[in-house]
Amino acid sequence: MPSDRIEIRDLSKTFDRDGQSVLALTGVNTSFARGEFVTLFGPSGCGKSTLLRLLAGLERQSTGEIRLFGQTPAEASRLKNIAWVPQSPGLLPWASLRANVRLSERLNRRADRAPDRRRTPEDADEVLRDLGLEDFAEARPAQLSGGMRQRAAIARAFVQGAELMLMDEPFSALDELTRDAVRLRLLQVWEKHRKTVIFVTHSAAEAVMLSDRVVVMTPRPGRVFREVPIDLPRPRTPDVLDSPAFDAKLREVKHVLRAGWEDAP
Amino acid sequence: MKRSMKRPVRRPVKRLPPALLHWLAPALLFFLIYLGWQWIALNFKSILPPFGALGAEFLSRPGFYFDNLLATLQAALTGFALGSGLALVLAVLAVYFTVLRAAIVPVALLLNVTPIVAISPALIVAFGFNAVPHIIVAAIAAFFPMLINAMSGLRKVDRETLDVFNAMSASPMEIFLRLRLPGALPEIFAGAKLAITAAMVGAIVSEFMGTSRGIGATIVMATTFLNLAQMWVAIFVSALTSLALIGLVVLVERAVIRW
Repeated sequence: MPSDRIEIRDLSKTFDRDGQSVLALTGVNTSFARGEFVTLFGPSGCGKSTLLRLLAGLERQSTGEIRLFGQTPAEASRLKNIAWVPQSPGLLPWASLRANVRLSERLNRRADRAPDRRRTPEDADEVLRDLGLEDFAEARPAQLSGGMRQRAAIARAFVQGAELMLMDEPFSALDELTRDAVRLRLLQVWEKHRKTVIFVTHSAAEAVMLSDRVVVMTPRPGRVFREVPIDLPRPRTPDVLDSPAFDAKLREVKHVLRAGWEDAP
Repeated sequence: MKRSMKRPVRRPVKRLPPALLHWLAPALLFFLIYLGWQWIALNFKSILPPFGALGAEFLSRPGFYFDNLLATLQAALTGFALGSGLALVLAVLAVYFTVLRAAIVPVALLLNVTPIVAISPALIVAFGFNAVPHIIVAAIAAFFPMLINAMSGLRKVDRETLDVFNAMSASPMEIFLRLRLPGALPEIFAGAKLAITAAMVGAIVSEFMGTSRGIGATIVMATTFLNLAQMWVAIFVSALTSLALIGLVVLVERAVIRW
């Protein structure tokens, strides 16, 4: 049944580590609206990346159910309706930047002919321009800086035109200054396309700066501890980010995170 | 005597530019080897022939050497194509069938530690006095380096890029052609460089027996007639040819791998 929400019900994931089963996620229940920018926020090992991988269909949950606008992750992936942004940029070193951001055009072409296709690919050159990469379209990844490579990985996801974009700590390897600049770029491009984004981070500032809602998770086994709506105005200009309201939200998110630690068994 | 507090004036030392030095150093070493060679050749005639005699020997009958080189090249290149081709196919299959990988590695290892010279007579008995045994020896020699390099190159794939491919349901064939194979090319070329040299060595060693054609046969013939000049011309021809073959592989590599 088509639906306009992402629904996660009673989700749990158990890993098998050297014959021992490790509970990574348990009893995860939540729901996101279309066009929402959500961050999964929590300490290392809280299962936030695992939750993201389940949403992408890269791994199977042990129990529970995921519906991405009415589809299972496997169905959405088959229709190229999920764009994945990994922690390292994951670009093809032998391909030009333009060929890299247009990767989705060359893979799983059956999805482009599917009658229930919902994806609308964006113009690669326009996305490259929006991310400040237009002068490097013919360059190979090795010729670019770390920040540019990460922007290219984001460009690739936007060009795919998927309904759902999943980003797994994409900025964690960047230095602080570069990270700030890339976040602002991401916000600008996202404002334009308004795709649903689920973004994993362990930076409270990043979570507050980017999202409409911060899902705070507890340490292992990961659960959703609390959800903090971020009702700061958009677009998130530098003025907004310097405002007392931003600082208050940041404190609130950090406070909730600490409470989650104490709540953990 | 009181020590002067003045610092000594340091004169700038004139140095050769490093690029020139890198070129000059091997040239100098070659020259030293040449001098040593000539010294031995002039004092102990039965050990090494003088370079002048080598040049004269080659120029007196270049056709003889070209003919024999051609026979060796035919065996070596056919063997290289067969041996490394089979190794590539097996390496690709081993990525997907771990049982196959478990099966070939010990056999390949055993094949690799078996001295080629020991197999060669058996192959001549089996296939007769023609090119086939020499091609097989060259193929066996080329097989192992390509197998090991290609397997290691094809097995490792960037996990994060693989996630990107899988998130949009790329087919196994797409993952192979667009991710695994291009990523393995540097190692496949490293394997090809080793394999083509090994094929040359295999062909020449194999020609020590059961044939009157080829660089290997030329060397054996020279031994029989104690013809030092012929022997060393054959050795230099084979060495320079191997070098040229590696150069050829490097040229192809540079054309293919541009990142």
